[in-house]
Amino acid sequence: MQSILYPGGIPLWRNVVFIQWAIQIVSAVVVIAIVSGFIVNVANEIQDREIPFGFSFLDEAAQIPIGESVIQYEPSNSYLYGFTVAALNTIKASVLGVITATILGIIIGVSRLSRNWLLSRIALVYIETFRNIPLLIQLLFWFLIILELPNVREGYVFFDAFYLNNSGFYLPWASPLGGFWPWAILSIAGLIAAIFAFNFLSKREIETGQPSYPIVAGFAIFILVTIIGLLIFSPLDIVVPERQEGPFGRLQGGARLTGSFFALLIGLVVYTSAFIAEIVRAGIQAVNRGQTEAARSLGLNTNAGLRYVIFPQALRVIIPPLISQYLNLTKNSSLAAAIGYPDLVSVTTTMTQIAPAISLIGMVMVTYLAMSLFYSLVGNIYNRITRYAGVG
Amino acid sequence: MRFSSARKNPAMKLLALTSSLLISTTLLLSACTSDSGATQVALERAQATAAAAIAERNAASERANEAEDRAAAAEASTNRLATIQNRGKITCATGNDTPGFHSLDASGNSVGFDVDLCRAVAAAILSDADAVEFRFTDLAERGPALQSGEIDLMNLTTTWTSNRDINWGNFAPVMFYDGQGFMTRKDLGIESALELDGAAICVTSGTTTELNLADYIRQHNLDAETTVFEQSEVAFDAYGSGQCDAFTTDRSGLASLLTEFPNPEDHVILPEIISEEPLTPVVPHGDEAWFDIVKIVMAGIIYAEAYGIDSSNVDQVAASDNIKAKRLLGSEGDFGQEALGIKKTFMQDVIKQVGNYGEIYERNLGTDGIGLPRKGRNDLWINGGQIYAAPLR
Repeated sequence: MQSILYPGGIPLWRNVVFIQWAIQIVSAVVVIAIVSGFIVNVANEIQDREIPFGFSFLDEAAQIPIGESVIQYEPSNSYLYGFTVAALNTIKASVLGVITATILGIIIGVSRLSRNWLLSRIALVYIETFRNIPLLIQLLFWFLIILELPNVREGYVFFDAFYLNNSGFYLPWASPLGGFWPWAILSIAGLIAAIFAFNFLSKREIETGQPSYPIVAGFAIFILVTIIGLLIFSPLDIVVPERQEGPFGRLQGGARLTGSFFALLIGLVVYTSAFIAEIVRAGIQAVNRGQTEAARSLGLNTNAGLRYVIFPQALRVIIPPLISQYLNLTKNSSLAAAIGYPDLVSVTTTMTQIAPAISLIGMVMVTYLAMSLFYSLVGNIYNRITRYAGVG
Repeated sequence: MRFSSARKNPAMKLLALTSSLLISTTLLLSACTSDSGATQVALERAQATAAAAIAERNAASERANEAEDRAAAAEASTNRLATIQNRGKITCATGNDTPGFHSLDASGNSVGFDVDLCRAVAAAILSDADAVEFRFTDLAERGPALQSGEIDLMNLTTTWTSNRDINWGNFAPVMFYDGQGFMTRKDLGIESALELDGAAICVTSGTTTELNLADYIRQHNLDAETTVFEQSEVAFDAYGSGQCDAFTTDRSGLASLLTEFPNPEDHVILPEIISEEPLTPVVPHGDEAWFDIVKIVMAGIIYAEAYGIDSSNVDQVAASDNIKAKRLLGSEGDFGQEALGIKKTFMQDVIKQVGNYGEIYERNLGTDGIGLPRKGRNDLWINGGQIYAAPLR
């Protein structure tokens, strides 16, 4: 294309494509130089100080105790397996924390904007209190509160099946029997049928204007199919916690949220939800006031306006900072070591007693990075789906 | 035209960023992964990457600089005594949470058995027992702190094990013979650790105690659940509240923990000793002379007790005609002070300011401290114990 300013063609130093590439290449070289500088340094130090390094230890028996695990663990399992168990513990805390913190954060964020003076003040106090106290202090606080519960022998018992004491919350849990998979497949089929019914009925409702109750119908189909499956296949064995013989009287069977995990979850959720609440508030306030008024003039009530008009637009503002809160929550879960929850950091710290510390810390870094990148990926995909068509 | 290039821009940025990230990740991985797992292979790869990176840079002058840097670093790590004398303080890693061994007194000063050895070394080389900078170190951070070489001496109830000897630093002679035991509440009616089947046991992380515990549980087929805490205070709280039925650490630690409970008679220390725990001061690898200085100070306080020299009679003994005692105090002969480059009369400073082994023990662990009887292994060899050191000659 002929340019007016440069009749002889655009010179190289004004060429946009060239400048962009040059900047990219220069920054790549700088990054590589810095990173290799670090590596050189580490390699030299490892050699000079004879610091043990390597990954051959991963196959050996870990020999360390891990208090609780998602999958079965014995100290005779390998380091790699022990590492996986610890990573799963972190993932468990992170996923449960993210879900709960999001729900709580949205509720508090909306309450903060409520016209109800008391409600909005309570939300304000909650936010300002919990986001301004260091998380470690909060974790220890919740943990000490849980320790104040009576011990396992004297704790609360509900219906002879639920136990609450300072060792945790014990509840009945189902373990799969032979008929589990047929039942699971039937339930999934039921879920798909429910979604179809929901879509069909909502379409009908929109087209004909006749109330068709799509949500009720969808749920009814799913629950009905699941219950029929339960009766036919009897897929689950309900295990109720039972007190063991002997002086300690600990409980066995069923599911258990340990005191440490409980404290960790409460701490992470309360802390992160305070931040999420502010993000939600900011997102809602970022939506033009005219949108609320428009929703009103269309005849939508406050709830419907929030749900169908305001929230979908607010989400676009909310999602990116929300993802970074998820990342924070995941990383913050590494404080669990302080209150006795065997997360990734806590377990690998124990491992460094015998195994090479640098290798293990490298593995921990890569694992956290992978988890964070996964959240970012999911968030970015969601962000791409929800953004305005034709923008960006 | 402008719109299309603006639209292209983020995509290109992303591409370039991703590729540079990929390159650096590959570099990192090539240094970190090792399929055979052998240290050598990993090192060689890291070295190869290093060589490539160096070649990329402007060769000659850079190399000269690097050689200088290395020489300086080597100097610092091999002549620790000179470094300390320039600094005027020794850096001593210890703790503040175990009464008797290391804790803070009412005015915030570090006191304890571990602390006193740091003070003794400071008195020996700087003539001032207070010339110590204490670094309160987490039990789990002990290995890295030693490996980095940033501390001069670590005295933090550290058990000497073969793995730590190889990986952490040089272990001096044993200062205190300890062993791991269990504590439970009396009302549980337990008389032996073998009855801990079905119990919940609390333990502090980053210590050999949790490994010993795991071994013991496995060995005796006990179905016990373990909870690992980072800090001993939180573990104590968990035990105190009954979240754990038993607490395990070295028996000296249990004794010192008992002093913190409002009603010590409600708890019982079980008879089993499940490990050997020789508690030992450690210095970083790489400076033999510094290691020798620490050992000679320890030998000095042990022999001072054997010869009957204490903080009250140093001057009389130095002027007396007891040959061995006079050699120890530096008024006659030499047992290595000159070769190490320390003051000939350094033991006078040590004993005046800190005291001999027996005084240090009684003040912190014995009758004036947490009340651990000294009888047995921790007595001097002349009384049938195992506290002994290289003769000073």
